[in-house]
Amino acid sequence: MEKILSQEKLREWVDTLDDCEVHAPAFADSVWNYARIEAGADIDLSHTNTIGSIKTFVFPQREVFFRFEKKDGVPLLTSTLPDPIPTVVFGVRPCDGRGMPRNDTVFNKEFEDPYYWARRDKLTLIGLACNQPHSPNCFCQSVGGSPHSEEGLDILMTDLGDRFHVKGITAKGVEIMERGRDAFDAVSDSDQADAGKIHETSRSYPQRPLGDLDAIPEALRENFDSPLWADMAQHCIGCGICTFLCPTCHCFDINDEVTSPTSGEGERVRTWDNCQFPDFTMHTSGHNPRGDLGSRLRQRVNHKFLYFVENHNTQQCTGCGRCITECPVGIDIVAVLERVSQ
Amino acid sequence: MTDNIYLPKIGRIVGIDEETQGARAIKTFKVEFPNSDGFEHNCGQCAMLSMFGKGESMISIASSPLVKEYKQFSIMKMGRVTSAFHAARVGDFIGIRGPYGNQFPLDDWKGRDLVFIGGGVGLAPIWPVIQTAVARREDFGKITVFYGARTSSNIMYEADFEKLKASVEVQLSVDAPEEGWPGYTGFVPANLMDKAPSPDNAIAITCGPPIMIKFVIQNLQALGFADEQIYTTIENKMKCGIGKCGRCNVGKDYVCVKGPVYSWAELKSLPQEY
Repeated sequence: MEKILSQEKLREWVDTLDDCEVHAPAFADSVWNYARIEAGADIDLSHTNTIGSIKTFVFPQREVFFRFEKKDGVPLLTSTLPDPIPTVVFGVRPCDGRGMPRNDTVFNKEFEDPYYWARRDKLTLIGLACNQPHSPNCFCQSVGGSPHSEEGLDILMTDLGDRFHVKGITAKGVEIMERGRDAFDAVSDSDQADAGKIHETSRSYPQRPLGDLDAIPEALRENFDSPLWADMAQHCIGCGICTFLCPTCHCFDINDEVTSPTSGEGERVRTWDNCQFPDFTMHTSGHNPRGDLGSRLRQRVNHKFLYFVENHNTQQCTGCGRCITECPVGIDIVAVLERVSQ
Repeated sequence: MTDNIYLPKIGRIVGIDEETQGARAIKTFKVEFPNSDGFEHNCGQCAMLSMFGKGESMISIASSPLVKEYKQFSIMKMGRVTSAFHAARVGDFIGIRGPYGNQFPLDDWKGRDLVFIGGGVGLAPIWPVIQTAVARREDFGKITVFYGARTSSNIMYEADFEKLKASVEVQLSVDAPEEGWPGYTGFVPANLMDKAPSPDNAIAITCGPPIMIKFVIQNLQALGFADEQIYTTIENKMKCGIGKCGRCNVGKDYVCVKGPVYSWAELKSLPQEY
């Protein structure tokens, strides 16, 4: 389904979703990030990219799996599986959209993760094509994506200036469009042509190049024991921001949080974790298979460009560039891959 | 929606055996499922055990899959969760989810000689294989069990070893000389060389401290065992047990799903991230 939506009618459409939780980019504290909006009047799609990725909607930073307590001496577990209302996210950039099917693969492979899917099944993603790169670190096209990729999105909107071209991609997306049908106009040949032209232009901007994607896994295999890793990680401070902001990084920790040391009551909690931290892999004995910064940088890069490719035939990176832009010490995954590939 | 895979089943400790003493003591826990919601497992698989309030640890299932009434776990006192196990008493409740991981391909070894080589708490992961092989004694050729401990008082499953001697060859060793010790004195790899089991139509299964495994494999190769004839298990830090939390990988494999059992031929092709 393809429709045209005027800038004024966008709010009208959002207001038809009053039984959903609606999130959209909001500018606060000098950055764009997703925030819940209460009414169509609050929506603003003039954002660049959000600092945080959309993974938070399906994989929150902290999530309680269950509560435990003792009843008559026996542990009693109460599941806290979420049952959210439908959630609609506006303004999703195509790089984040492409991250979602990669996360689906991880949380569904062999063992279905019920917490992830409780949220995922209720989530509708409305993308917004990038008319031009938001950052010099964008490289979506270098990892098989595009500024108007539909992968992972339920709807793709393209900003034509005074109006949006809106394309329903999945049944879920079409249903969300149907609900706001009075806000939409029919699409004309010239609308189609305008959208096509904008998409074409958006692809013509230079992006960070990665060279031959198919050659990267072999280069990484060959360089597993290379001193390059230690060299490139020398200035890494191990803060892990690269993985926290990444739309596809999914590593987590599970811990028990108690109300008091002796109560026997508490919660089992999943939190985001990070392959850049030394205790991520450290055995209780003190032995650590990835005990230095170089091996941890290698793990992040290999996971995305070697292991994920070997296991799932695609990169676990969508070229959003956040890990490059936000790294406090300037570690640059594109430059790392370039050096390893030389 | 499938079952909630993160929600443990409740198990009850019905027996505790003190295997070894000391700072890194080992106890064996016999666990039953009071809600009759136990699970079947295969030789070599693990389970994620909970002490509520302390957390979870991945532990090898040390009992044979043929034993249905209970499961057995031999746990060395190391960190937060395992220390909580060592403080537990008979009657206490634990959480348990699993089973996780692959298995020893025992069915593929029919008609062959089996050589088990264990050291310390590393006997636990191969113990179910030994028990199952003994229960299916006619399926296999000669069975030899090498096992070494630091001292004779550190030998695990001591009573069971006596029973085992009726149907298999047992070669015990202690690291240092002890008065009256009838077995071999010296490290496990040396005992293996001393007895020199034949590689003809044989499979070797080893587990123990990393340094022991390293020299056992070297010695097996010296004895003529091919890489495909040697099996071992590896371990890494684990949180989810189901290939998602991201930390136990060795190259592209999550050990919790693809491991812990590997032939040396398979392991050799993986990076040394364990």
